[in-house]
This record gives sequence, C-alpha cells and structure tokens, in this order.
Amino acid sequence: MFALSVARRYLFSNPAQTALLIAGVALGVMAFVFITALIQGLAIRLTDDVTANSAHVSLEPPTRVARVLPSPAADVESVAIVSTFQRRQIRAWSSTVALLRSQTSVSAISPQISGSAFLVKGEAVAPVAVTAVDPSGLDAISPISTEIVSGDASLSADGILIGARLAESLGLSAGQPVLFRTDRGVDRLLIVRGIFDTGLQSLDERVAFLAIQTARPLFLLPEGVTNIEVKLVDPARARGFAAFMAEATGLRATSWQEKNANLEGALSAQAQTGTLIQIFSLISVLIGIASALSLSANRRRGEIGIMRAFGVSSRFIAAVFVLQGLLIGVVGASIGCVGGFALCSWLATMTKPDGTMALPIAPSEGGYVAVFLLTTLGAVLASVIPARSAARLDPLEAIQQ
Amino acid sequence: MSAVLDARGISMTFRNGDEFTKVLKGVDLTLDPGELAALLGASGSGKSTLLSIVGLLLRPTTGTITIAGERVEGLSEVDRALFRNQRLGFIFQFHHLLPDFTATENVAFPAAAPAGGITPAMRSRARELLARVGLSDRMDFTATRLSGGQKQRVAIARALMNEPELVLADEPTGSLDRVAAEQVLDLMREVNREENATFLICTHDEKVAARCTRRISLSDGRVESVVGAGTSEHSQ
Repeated sequence: MFALSVARRYLFSNPAQTALLIAGVALGVMAFVFITALIQGLAIRLTDDVTANSAHVSLEPPTRVARVLPSPAADVESVAIVSTFQRRQIRAWSSTVALLRSQTSVSAISPQISGSAFLVKGEAVAPVAVTAVDPSGLDAISPISTEIVSGDASLSADGILIGARLAESLGLSAGQPVLFRTDRGVDRLLIVRGIFDTGLQSLDERVAFLAIQTARPLFLLPEGVTNIEVKLVDPARARGFAAFMAEATGLRATSWQEKNANLEGALSAQAQTGTLIQIFSLISVLIGIASALSLSANRRRGEIGIMRAFGVSSRFIAAVFVLQGLLIGVVGASIGCVGGFALCSWLATMTKPDGTMALPIAPSEGGYVAVFLLTTLGAVLASVIPARSAARLDPLEAIQQ
Repeated sequence: MSAVLDARGISMTFRNGDEFTKVLKGVDLTLDPGELAALLGASGSGKSTLLSIVGLLLRPTTGTITIAGERVEGLSEVDRALFRNQRLGFIFQFHHLLPDFTATENVAFPAAAPAGGITPAMRSRARELLARVGLSDRMDFTATRLSGGQKQRVAIARALMNEPELVLADEPTGSLDRVAAEQVLDLMREVNREENATFLICTHDEKVAARCTRRISLSDGRVESVVGAGTSEHSQ
C-alpha cells in the first residue's frame, strides 16, 4: 500500500519529533495502565480482606412474616401468629448442602448454628456472637486454626475457641473454664481450648467458636442449622450465585456484596475516579497526536499542493495522515503497554518494612487490550482532522505560498 | 492536426467581499501538438490565472476548454484530478519535491499514487526520464541532497512521467541562478523537440520567452500580441 509507505517516510523524515510523539503516547498509555492496575489491585485487596474471613454467600431461613389467614366468617379476621420463641432454622439443611456440593463454583460449605450468648468469668460478663461448626470444617470459611496464638484449635465437646481481645477483657487463657450462657438462659461450663488472633477487631472481640453438637442443646436446636455459609471459587460471582440458591431452595441468600454495600459503593466511586483519570490520559494523548499531525500537514502544504496538482486524490492524501496516526497509535500503545507492565511489575515487588506490598498494584490487571484498542482507535480519530484539512487543501493556494 | 489546447472566451472574475476583480477578459488560446509557447505578461496581467485555468486548478467564470479533444470545463473535481494526473504535466517555480523520497521515487509518484505503489515498469520509466534530464548519477539521491537546478530537472522528469499531452510550467526558472536556469530551459527545449511534448510556459522573463517557438503576451486580462508560429489567439 503506497499511502502506508508515504506515511512511514513522513514519520521517519523527522525521527526526533516522531520519537517524542511516540514517547508522549507511550507515557499516556503507561499512566492509563498504572491507574488501571492500581485501582484493580486495590479492589482485589479490599475484596480479599473482606472475604478472607467471611462467607461469600450466606443461606438463612426466610424471614418470618405475619399473614392474614382465610376466615370462615366475614366479620372475623384471622392472623397467623409469628412465633419468636422457636429459633429460625433450616430443617432440611442436608439436601441444601447436597445441592451446594454439586456446584463446581462452590469451594467450601459450612452449615452452622449461630446465636448470641454471654461468657461469664467471675464478675466479668461479655456478649459473644457464637458460631458453631462441624470441628472438621472449622477453617471452611475463616482460617481460624492458623490464627491460634494460645492453646490449639481442637473443638472438643466441652471446648470453646475465643478471640484474643475477648480473652484479654475476661482475663482468660487457654485451658481455663468459662461459664457459657445462651440467650435462652441455658448455662454450661466450657473450657477455653484455644485463643485466636485474626487481626480483625470485630472477630477477635466478639466471636466464639463451638462444635455444632455442643451448640445443639444450648440453642435448643436438636436437628436444624441456623445458616449455611458458602465460599465460592470466584467471589465476584457471589451475587448471581445467591440469586440462584434463593430460587432453588426458597432460603434467604445474601451475597458478600450485599452485606458490604458501603465497600461496593467505595469501589465504584474509586473506579469512576480511575475512569476519569484514564479518559484524561487518553485525551491528552489524542490532542498530542492531532496537534503534531496538524503541524506536519501545515509544514507539508507545498508537497501536498503539488501532489493534488498532479492529480493525486484527496482520499490518498487523507490516507497518508490517517495511517501516520495509526502507526503512532500502534507503536506508542505497544511501547506504553510493555512499559506499563514493567513499571507495575517493578512496583509490585516493592514492600513495606512489615513485608506487605507498598502499593496494592495488580500488574496483570492493567487493561492492556482496552488501552491498546482505545489508543489505536483514538489515534486514528485524532488524525482525521489534520487528514481532512490536508485532503481539502486547495492545490493552487498551497503551491503559491 | 487537431489542437492540444483550445480555450475559448476564458474570463475570470475574483470576488473579495463586495469587490469584484476581472482578471481575464475573454481570452482565446490554441496550442498545436509539439509547440513550445511562452505566456508573457507583467505581474497582474492574468497569465498565472490563465495557466491555472488551463491546468484545471481553477474554474473560469466563463469560457470553454478543450484539451486533446476533450471538453474539460464541466468535469467534476474527481474527474479533473484524474485528468490532471493522466493528461497534464506541471512544473512550478518551486519544485516541491517530496524531500523524504529519492529522485526516482519523486518522478514515479504521479503514476504510483493512483496505482497503489511503484511497479518495476514505473521505476524503469522514472529512471529513463532521469537519465533523459541528465541525472543518471543522482537517481537514488533523496531530494534534500540535490541542488536547486537538479531538483527542477527532477520536477521536469516528474511532469513527463505519465506522458502528458500538455506540460504547463509556471516560472520554471524563477528560483534558479542564471546557469541552472539556462540548463533547465535547454532541457525543456530538448524534451519539446525530441519527445514532441507541448509546453506552455508562463514567464515574465523575456530571455525565457525568446527560447520559445511562440510568444503570447497578456496585458490587463487580454491577449495583447502573438508572435511566432501557430494559430491565432486574440482577446474579445
């Protein structure tokens, strides 16, 4: 294609200017890649932090709602009374667990009895949120056994695991007895088998783990469970999976995103800010290309005029400038993508004194395909204005200047 | 023998706001094949405007133009460009060569652009023309490495690339020193004689006009006189 050959010659005719132009495009693309990788990295880290010690989907019994019953007499209204004495539970939890096990997107399942209780040590009383699980599945949702700082993670029939802050406030240590009193007034003396420290204040201060068989008589639930916690292979798909489970089981299914609406809002705002920065990066790149090609078209008015005079079509002239934009876009975007990946990879190796990443950057999430396509397309569009101006040049006017 | 150029009743009026300037006032001009004609006139006489009209770079206000038997004044812009490319050759005061291309590529350009590339046949023709204008040893030089006279010789070769029926030259020696100007004029005469190419040279230089077979003088938008061989031209 002859127009491409002419475009290439035009670019090579002033190597310094072309190199600067390509460098400008590459820097803009690098800025785009950096921002994208940083925002994605931050979102991944926040998501990981939130979901590391909690379920991606929680299944619970449907909410109790008082309802009007059909009445034999027109002047009598019957209302079903909602019993609040009996704890809400999932009675057929085995079939739900079987359904969950058949799903390849599920990575862990934890049927639980959750409730409120008090721990009493002498005069000290502390409220706790109880999570009773099968001892073999203690780590299914939160890796508690790896966070044990005192004692061990064995959940025996009389054992309880508590957080470090709770142990501190009650003056408890591993091996000591503590009185466990449920919200239904059932008391039992349990032994603190282990103390965990997750670093999450809400967990370390308020949560206690029991074996599910230990919890059944305490919470008056001989058969059912109060909730089933689920971890997914891909946490991002929790919302869809929750909808599927709610439809399939009739249970109330809540995704981690619903439980953390504030986080989702913050991530969304952060993504919007990033998008603005990305747009401005691209606009600055495109303005650079348009202005450089406009200058080139102006500088070559005489040549363009003579070409038009000896009958070269305006389409050919336009193609020469559009192809220059395309070449600048492709080369600049390629260099920018490679440079951006290298920069992000280098930044990802930088750590703080405690060994954690200095920047929560995800080099693989730089939006490379998107920025390459956007920059290339944008470069072509940016070249349209100088291309049209060159193609419309009056040959006589250009030659006589 | 039919005329290469037959322009009848050419007038041209330029408008600048509310002001109208009549530059050409009904010019008739005929050129036979193989003529080397000079279009003379002082600055503002309308010679460059007439050359641009004949070269299909400007549309006349009135008049008809027939080049090599084809009426051209009503052609669309696209057809005018195509006609210029295939039937006319241009030499301007400033050569406007493509500085990033070699002499051969510059000469081949008018044929290569519509065809989508330089074919071996085009390259061969371009080199033949460069040899013809005495640049055998500069064929692969980029335009920036050529002297002013050499550049104008490349421009002459470029004008002949598509074997035009009519070559239009606007002050072709205007930007050259005396020696280079003489060489370029000699070359145009030589090409005119040997290739039987028809030339219309627009100039204000009497010495250039003296080398031509016919002198057509313009004054105040009209043909003032015609000296030399050829058919009649007159203003109306």
